[in-house]
Amino acid sequence: MNINSGMISLWTKKTLIFHLSIMEIKMRYKESFLSFLWVVLEPLFMFIILYVVFSNIREPREENFAIYLISGIIFYHLFTKGTMTGLTSIRNNQGILKSLSINKNIFPIIAVTTTALLLIVEIGIFFGIMPFVSFVPSWTLIMMPFVITLLLVLILGLSYLLSVLYVKIPDIQPVWTILMYALLFVSPIFWSIDEANNTLLAIQQINPLGQIIELSHKIVFNEVPIIEDWIKTSLIVSAILIVGYTFFRKFEKTIVEEL
Amino acid sequence: MSKDSIIVKNLVKTFKAPKNFKDKSNLIYALNDISFSLEKGQILGIIGKNGSGKTTLLRTISGIYNPTSGNITVNGKLAPVLQIGIGFRNEISSIENIIMYGLLLGLKKDEIKDKVNTILEFADLKEFARMKLKYFSSGMRTRLAFATAMQIKSEIFLVDEILAVGDMDFKEKSFNEFMRLKKEGKTIIHTTHNLSAVERFSDKVLFLDKGKQVEIGDPKEVIAKYKKYILGE
Repeated sequence: MNINSGMISLWTKKTLIFHLSIMEIKMRYKESFLSFLWVVLEPLFMFIILYVVFSNIREPREENFAIYLISGIIFYHLFTKGTMTGLTSIRNNQGILKSLSINKNIFPIIAVTTTALLLIVEIGIFFGIMPFVSFVPSWTLIMMPFVITLLLVLILGLSYLLSVLYVKIPDIQPVWTILMYALLFVSPIFWSIDEANNTLLAIQQINPLGQIIELSHKIVFNEVPIIEDWIKTSLIVSAILIVGYTFFRKFEKTIVEEL
Repeated sequence: MSKDSIIVKNLVKTFKAPKNFKDKSNLIYALNDISFSLEKGQILGIIGKNGSGKTTLLRTISGIYNPTSGNITVNGKLAPVLQIGIGFRNEISSIENIIMYGLLLGLKKDEIKDKVNTILEFADLKEFARMKLKYFSSGMRTRLAFATAMQIKSEIFLVDEILAVGDMDFKEKSFNEFMRLKKEGKTIIHTTHNLSAVERFSDKVLFLDKGKQVEIGDPKEVIAKYKKYILGE
């Protein structure tokens, strides 16, 4: 199956992908009393905690710290949810994969569509906070779909890679959890590039999530990111997608036998 | 053109079964030199003890597993119904589950929606249409899953252990459904431990033991050999 026929086959499964994505979100909050409200509450509470802590322990350098923080948190939150869904996507669906001859590609894609659905809700939080902190959005926000696309492609590439790795090496789940915890601190979410030391700046060079968050910050604060930033981030994200997809295709045919 | 729906030739399927961390070379022969053919409209019953390779054979024919060696030729659209109700979710209603399961089985959403009432009627679950699946008994779940699976439009059905579930009424209903499919010229391969069901509905029976093909042929003769084998053990 070449990439084109694979894409056509995936397009015919779009209803299934959409339904399974909705189901993924439903299942995530199935036992909780507040149910879907947690989609909003999770990033909102994270925002409140970080805002209270960091606006008290340091003098915010950012133009509007609340908006700076929430835009970073939304990207980080979507990234963690998306990659975790991607990581477990093959293992959690082993019943289906062992019973039906189904295009395995749909499972990492569900991680991305789930993220895209959550994104719609989280964008509401972003705009909801604006009036409370006297923030007027600028025209540069029209570039946000490009940044969101980069995030979704990054999640897809990592989902391809992690979904197979998790079947082969179950320890990858706690490792990934630790890595995401580290990403919270090494990405410019509650600190800005201006105040970063050389170590943080070096990490930022190879941290695609950090670069995506930085692009979003610029756009939110009325700045057009320079073309080099777009190209650099796009190249890293594309490389991750190519590596992830190649890895996935290499083991796609035999992965069910390892479940 | 061959009138055979399925031709399996010298099929071998092995799995790696590492003895320890260092020695990863150990192989298990889940299927060892299996060969048979099945004409359009025939029903093949596969019998054998647990671990004999029945499910592995169905998974390999359906493309879930890749053959290690040998050939499988499938002429027609194939529907594996290896574990009915797979993808069912407790937290959603019968109707939502029918739609989800139908989509997984390859049906179109409109097709499934049109058939929701037929499915619920067949499963005797019309009054439970809006009820969440977590309140269903295992029998109710099975009926719902079987009724949905029978809506698949395929020429070849691979069915794993379905005839062993449900009460007498439901079993009879399932048998009748199988016969309807047979009359329509569908080819069916099914595995079961229910020997009377195999004898009643199969044109051929394949007896597997430890991945090897012991016998294939007339249901009565193969079942007699299987019984003798079981008793002789």
